[in-house]
Amino acid sequence: MKKISGNKKLIISVMIIIVVIAIIVGSIISIQKSGSNISFGKKTLNILSGSENEVLEPILEEFEKQNNVNINMTYEGSVDIMQELQNGAENYDAVFPANSIWISMGDTNLKVKNQKSITTTPVVFGIKKSVAEKLGFVGKDVTTKDILEKIQSKELSFMMTSATQSNSGATAYLGFIYALLGNPEVITAEDLDNEELKTNLTTILSGVNRSSGSSDWLKDLFLESDYDAMVNYESIIIDTNKELVARGEEPLYVIYPQDGLGIADSPLGYIDNGNKEKEEIFLKLQDYLISDEVKPKLLELGRRTSFAINFENSNPETFNSDWGIDTKKVLNVMKMPTADVIQKALNMYQTELRKPSLTVYCLDYSGSMAGNGVTSLRSAMSMLLDQTKAKNYMLQASTKDVTIVIPFDNNVLDIWKAEGNDETTLLELQSKIDSLDPQGGTDIYKPLIKAMDEIKKYNVSDYTTSIILMSDGKSNVNSYNQVVEEWNQENLDIPIFSITFGESDDRELQALADFSTARVFDGKDNLEKAFKQAKGYN
Amino acid sequence: MKSKIVGGIILLLVIIVIIAFQFVNVNKPEEITVSGYLGGEKEGLMQDEEVKKILKDKYGITVEYTKAGSIEMIEQDSSDKDYLFPSSQTALELFNQTKSDKLYKSEIVFNSPIVIYTWKPIAEALINNGIVEEKDNSYYIADTSALIKLVTDKKKWSDIGVNDLYGYVTIQSTDPNKSNSGNMFAGLVANIMNNETVVDSSTVDTILPNLKDFFGKIGYMEHSSGDLFEQYLKTGMGAKPMIAGYENQMIEFAIENPNDWNMVKEQVAVLYPEPTVWSSHPLIALNEKGAKLIEAMQDEEIQKIAWEKHGFRTGVNGTINTEIEGFYGIPKNINAVIQMPNPDTMQKIMDGIK
Repeated sequence: MKKISGNKKLIISVMIIIVVIAIIVGSIISIQKSGSNISFGKKTLNILSGSENEVLEPILEEFEKQNNVNINMTYEGSVDIMQELQNGAENYDAVFPANSIWISMGDTNLKVKNQKSITTTPVVFGIKKSVAEKLGFVGKDVTTKDILEKIQSKELSFMMTSATQSNSGATAYLGFIYALLGNPEVITAEDLDNEELKTNLTTILSGVNRSSGSSDWLKDLFLESDYDAMVNYESIIIDTNKELVARGEEPLYVIYPQDGLGIADSPLGYIDNGNKEKEEIFLKLQDYLISDEVKPKLLELGRRTSFAINFENSNPETFNSDWGIDTKKVLNVMKMPTADVIQKALNMYQTELRKPSLTVYCLDYSGSMAGNGVTSLRSAMSMLLDQTKAKNYMLQASTKDVTIVIPFDNNVLDIWKAEGNDETTLLELQSKIDSLDPQGGTDIYKPLIKAMDEIKKYNVSDYTTSIILMSDGKSNVNSYNQVVEEWNQENLDIPIFSITFGESDDRELQALADFSTARVFDGKDNLEKAFKQAKGYN
Repeated sequence: MKSKIVGGIILLLVIIVIIAFQFVNVNKPEEITVSGYLGGEKEGLMQDEEVKKILKDKYGITVEYTKAGSIEMIEQDSSDKDYLFPSSQTALELFNQTKSDKLYKSEIVFNSPIVIYTWKPIAEALINNGIVEEKDNSYYIADTSALIKLVTDKKKWSDIGVNDLYGYVTIQSTDPNKSNSGNMFAGLVANIMNNETVVDSSTVDTILPNLKDFFGKIGYMEHSSGDLFEQYLKTGMGAKPMIAGYENQMIEFAIENPNDWNMVKEQVAVLYPEPTVWSSHPLIALNEKGAKLIEAMQDEEIQKIAWEKHGFRTGVNGTINTEIEGFYGIPKNINAVIQMPNPDTMQKIMDGIK
């Protein structure tokens, strides 16, 4: 055995000591690290939100900058938000709908906590002031029934969002039921079977000129059209009026029905998917949104921030009493019926009572759609045509709906029709969509002209009419002018919605949407979702 | 020689570090994370930074929770949880009936009476109608039967002189089948309907149709006491004229939001039913970790914070010893208390309302 020298002994012991120190220091650091928030890279908070919160984006951006985080807003309708929560909402960290009832009905997985109302705004009627005066609605108490009578006698034309897609539409619709039943203590399931009620609702809803899947877009549509009134949030009526006044046009007069519609309480709740850091960011964001720093900005947007909803009006330019806005009035609210009654009422709206839809789908079957494209297209269409699937999204067809499908490449390939909501008929339509194979070039204009020809065969005023064009490529032919000419000539107020996919030319589609007051939906990431959105507007 | 000295110094340092490290470690309790189901009304307390700090520093406990209604949580799968923290004896008794093998330990750590939250114009109208009395700044519902009768007799707000409100008098509560405040309120209303005596299996059938009618008028019922209270405060008198809640909710709101409290304190009114029912908050431990949380929640400092910042009465009969600054009208003692119906009767009531 070799003798180890003194020096070597020292070296070895120093080395052992260093190793020991390293282990200890290392473990101390790791202990500290796990207890604190050392983190790298930007954190992202994914929020599932109602579209009315899109106006809050500048306020959210400020928070992003101050805290070096990303906030990702995904806008969905209320029913979709409820559905997403029921499905577990794994991809979201927070939920921010217009009304807490959608969280309450959706959170069957008990994932939502720390729910706080950020702002409030009542659902109201906004009526052109001259019309409101003429109808005797200014300066006195008005009930929902008073307004409904004017709608039934065609003295008032109005717009509202889809009851099955948007909170303001659902609130208004339930408010109409409550008023038509003579303001009972609460709406029951049996009440909904009342035939007189159904007839009255059908008449009223037939007066809805154009439907919309979101409250914010209803404002845009209103500004581009010529209707007397809309049902919307007080904050959106304020926003609309600011724009109308800037244009030198007549503002809307706000009516708070005495028997009450509803109040959007905009709750922001945390969806607990077990990420502590996200919870911290969430709580910080929530505190920020209700802070004294942000309150004036929310008030500027026409949102109420006070507790007890009433407040001393310090902002007469926004909460303008000339527009009928009253921040001290006691705001009555109808009582929401039980969840099963709400569901039943919404189903009735979708399948029986709403103004029927006449929808023409122009579907691109050009060669470039082969493979993934046509597969996505078929599954997206089946979500609407297969009534079992459609029910999940409250997008079922009604007994009087007309569905027309025009497949095209550089020519119109066929015209398929289905009337009503018979499940077999709609599934047969689906099987035609499934069995056609893509080939050839692209001309998006020929099918549009064909669609208008088909629409002319119906009495357009009986329907919510629209064309939904889905295309993945640039049109080889440009007959844009011909489409516009035909549209104007026939005086057809038909929105041409587009769904983009693949390489499609967004400018072409946007131009079509612009002149017909419609919208372009992006189907590149999720074609099903785009179809769902487009259909929600009809 | 020199290197020996260096080596010695390093060795010494290491020893010091080791000793220091162990010393720190010895004084720190073992770090544990305890997770469970929590009633929404205690979210504020469990999120309180002071409470979190005491739990962490003194007991080494980090609390995680899933918000659930008191009754709802009993029905959930709790195999991965360490505790349940509902807000009623009934929840504990239901747990004992169905899952007694899972019970490790339980202890009532807080108390809070059920109250009715309303608004000044309504409180005044009720005083004028001889239903409510004001004593020492507190409002008492001296004739609770008469209040319940306003609802069952279909009185309109205008009938009692509240002309700003449309429609019928109602008292809203959370869903008795999901959440405790609604559950206790159902027990209370059942007792009141039974001539202010505790309902039991021999009397429950008599009052059930009437009780069902009472709750049927509420329409949609929230699942969480916290959410209902938030809506009451935010959406105002026209939307939520009267709701049933816990006494602690308004106190907690006032302490946490002094500015907002100043704006609403002249508008809101807290009515103490005579008699009322106590909501006891039992902490149910499912294992040793849960038991440690029980011990920690009984910490004197936490109990003090629970009262002074969150309004939970502590101690055996909930008598309060300290005043809360800026908040008046809290009775020192809650004298008129009625027992909740027994669990079997409650089950019958819950099924009847479903």
